[in-house]
Parts: sequence; structure tokens; C-alpha cells
Amino acid sequence: MKNPFKLKIFKNVIVILVIFVLIKLLWVVADTLWLSSYGVEHKKEVGGKGLYYRVKLSTNKAPPPPKVEPKKIIKIAGNIKEIKLKAIYSSDESTVVTIVYKQKTKILGLGDTINGFTLNGGGSNYAIFVKNSKNYRVELEESKKSKNIYNSIKFSKDTTKKIENKSTPSLPDGEIIDAGDHKIIDKSLIEYYTKDIDSIYKNIGIKDLKKDNIVNGFMITFVRRGTPFAKLGLKRGDILKAINGRQLNSYKAAFDAYKNALNMSNVTLVIERKKEEMELEYEVN
Amino acid sequence: MQMVKNILLIIATLWFAILLFMPKVDLYYSLENKLVKKGIVINEKSIDESVFSLSLKESDIYAEGINLVKLNKINIFTLLFYSSINVNGINIDESLKSFIPVTVEKLIASHSILSPRKVFITIVGNFGVADGIVDLKKKIIRLDFSDTNELNNLKKQLKKDKKGWYYEKSF
Repeated sequence: MKNPFKLKIFKNVIVILVIFVLIKLLWVVADTLWLSSYGVEHKKEVGGKGLYYRVKLSTNKAPPPPKVEPKKIIKIAGNIKEIKLKAIYSSDESTVVTIVYKQKTKILGLGDTINGFTLNGGGSNYAIFVKNSKNYRVELEESKKSKNIYNSIKFSKDTTKKIENKSTPSLPDGEIIDAGDHKIIDKSLIEYYTKDIDSIYKNIGIKDLKKDNIVNGFMITFVRRGTPFAKLGLKRGDILKAINGRQLNSYKAAFDAYKNALNMSNVTLVIERKKEEMELEYEVN
Repeated sequence: MQMVKNILLIIATLWFAILLFMPKVDLYYSLENKLVKKGIVINEKSIDESVFSLSLKESDIYAEGINLVKLNKINIFTLLFYSSINVNGINIDESLKSFIPVTVEKLIASHSILSPRKVFITIVGNFGVADGIVDLKKKIIRLDFSDTNELNNLKKQLKKDKKGWYYEKSF
């Protein structure tokens, strides 16, 4: 009589099962001893909300009603072709302009004169000069120019090569104006540098400072002369501690500040210089 | 002959058992924990495990707390003698667009036991296709941008030789 139960197949099945059990056991041991059963969740940083505006403290007195003055109608005698308006800061109290005259850049305040033309005021995109009791209007050169420069740097093959060969990279057009207690930054500058992070590192060196493996500010290792970064008042050895009330105690804090730079209308920078903390105030216009 | 058959059966069973019982999710979590020590955190919406592969959906990669990369799908596949990682829909933070292309459609990295010291890479993006090798012995990454459209600002990171534009970095 033929045996229906094949011993050979049974043996093979037993061998396979033994291997399965052994491998499973080995994996369980390895899993228990060396592997982790939980992943890592990214913790969202809880930090103070950035103060992206300046608060002016005043007495409790109610503000006086605004005076409504009749608008002065200024008769414009013509344009001045030899003066090119590069940047303007204009408020009720003051007007500061950056102009180019005979290929030289100059900064003028109210009442300053150039070639007989006296700065008399301005608007958001123009300046008014007076000469011989006649008013002359100078329009702000459109920011398109700076955008075109940026595009040509990035995309034009020929220009890219030329710029790469130059030892000094071209600088953006915007100006930084010193207004006494604070500095006024042309927004086009911030637009330029937020679009091209590479150009920041060519002009300023920033290194993280760590204490017990935790970021404790960012040190400036160099500032290229004549660049907007130098005009900001930053010096080699300064430690950036906070920006708009937010401590720069992580890479994320610094990166967030960089990413939000375009939305900031006022910037307060806390720095440590020669072991003393000081604040640098900026207005973005 | 019978002996050979038995040996082959044992090897095949071992191979299958290793893959079948491999704690793929826990291995992946261990990798996550090791990356944390280097300041890199990976968060994913879901993890799916199968006999030969592990799929991660909607992953965010944080470097020093900064969400730099978003990945739509990652598929890690292994047969032990051949392994590959397929990444689809790579979105890099806009702030890095002056360095690298911010949108990459696909990245495929594969490793075979036939060339154990090399990892082959293919990247498909709006710049075209880049093929390359990670030499684990020489510790060099080289990517050749042979089939490319517009490299634009990516050229800043590249070098050029007879074959065309390439990226090379040692690690």
C-alpha cells in the first residue's frame, strides 16, 4: 500500500517553518534591542510674535483734531533733465532724496541746493525743486530699472558671464538714508536681497554662535565696504541677538526673519557690540 | 542535485523570511532618530508597509527647524540584492530658488549588489533630466545634466566639461 503522506514534503515544510520562526525571532530581538518604535515629530517653535511695527508712546491727551489746510497748487515750470531722482523719503516733516547729478550720487534734505535748484518738497514718487521762484518736478526713476538689472544678472547668458568675471559684484540701486535716530531702507534693496540669497553672502559674513549646542545669536564676520550692509551700521564682530522682538536663538528664527523681510515696514535689530547691547532702528520705505 | 535543491530552498526561504518579517517601519523610525542628531526631522502624513516596500506620503523635511522640502510620495523598495528609493513631487522652499530648482518631479536612487559601492541617481525636473552616481568609496557625488532645457541660475552650482554641465561634490 502506498503511503499518502510524503515524508520529504513534510520535512521541507518543517524546515521552512523553522527558518520563518528563527528569522522572526531574530527581527524581534533586533527590533527590541536596537530599533526605535517611535518616529520624531517636528515641534513647532513657540516664540513671541514679531513686532513688525513701531509703537509711538504719547501722553493720554487726546490728539488735536487734524488741521485741514487748503491744498497748495504748485505750478510746475518744467522738468530738470540733468537731475535724476533715485530714491525719496517724504513725510509731513521732512523730505530726503537721493539724486544723481553729473554721474555723482548725492543725498539732499529740504532746503539743500544743487546747481541752483533747491529741494522744496516731494511726494511718493517725485521731488519738487525751486529755482528763481519757479517749481520744477523730478520724477522718481522707475524701480523697473533695478528689476531689469536683476533679470539680466540671472538670465542673460552674456551678462552673466561678464558679471561672473568681475571681482566685485554689481550692487542694487536702492539707498539707505540716515535719518538721525533711525535709518531708512529703500524697499527695492530688500526685494533684491530676498530674491538672491547668494548676493547676501558676498557682502556680509554671518556665523552662528552656539552655547551648549544651542544657537545664541549670529556673529558678523565681515561687512563689505560700500555695500548696503555696511550702511546699515553693522560692523565686524557684532552679534545679532533679536529682530523685531524675536530672539535669534535658532536657525528657524533667522530664516523666518529673512523670509518675512519683505513684509516688514519697521525693523528693530538688537545687537551686542563690545559686550554692550544696543538697538538699531530701520524704516523700510 | 538534491543537496543543491535543498540549499537553494533554504536560501530562498531565508531571503523571503528576512523581507517578510523585516520591521520596515521601525527601521525607518530608527533612521529618523539618527537624522535628528544631525538636525534633520522628517514628518510624514502616512506610512504604508508591504512585503518589499515602504511608502511615505506627504512628507515634510525640516533642517534645523526650517521646513525646506516637501515631498509628495516616497517609495523605498528592497529585494536586498537590489534597492531603490523613488521620490515624487519634490517642492523645495522658494527662498532657495537662487541655488537649486524649487520643483523636481522625480528622483530615483538605486543600489545593486553588482556595484555595491555606487548609488545611481536620476533626477527629472523643469531643467530636464540629470543622471549621476554617488561613489561611496571615493565619497563623491556627480550629476550630469546632459538632457537639459534651461539651467538658468542652477549654472552657478555647476561645472562644465566635454560632456556638458555637471555637479560634483565630495562628502
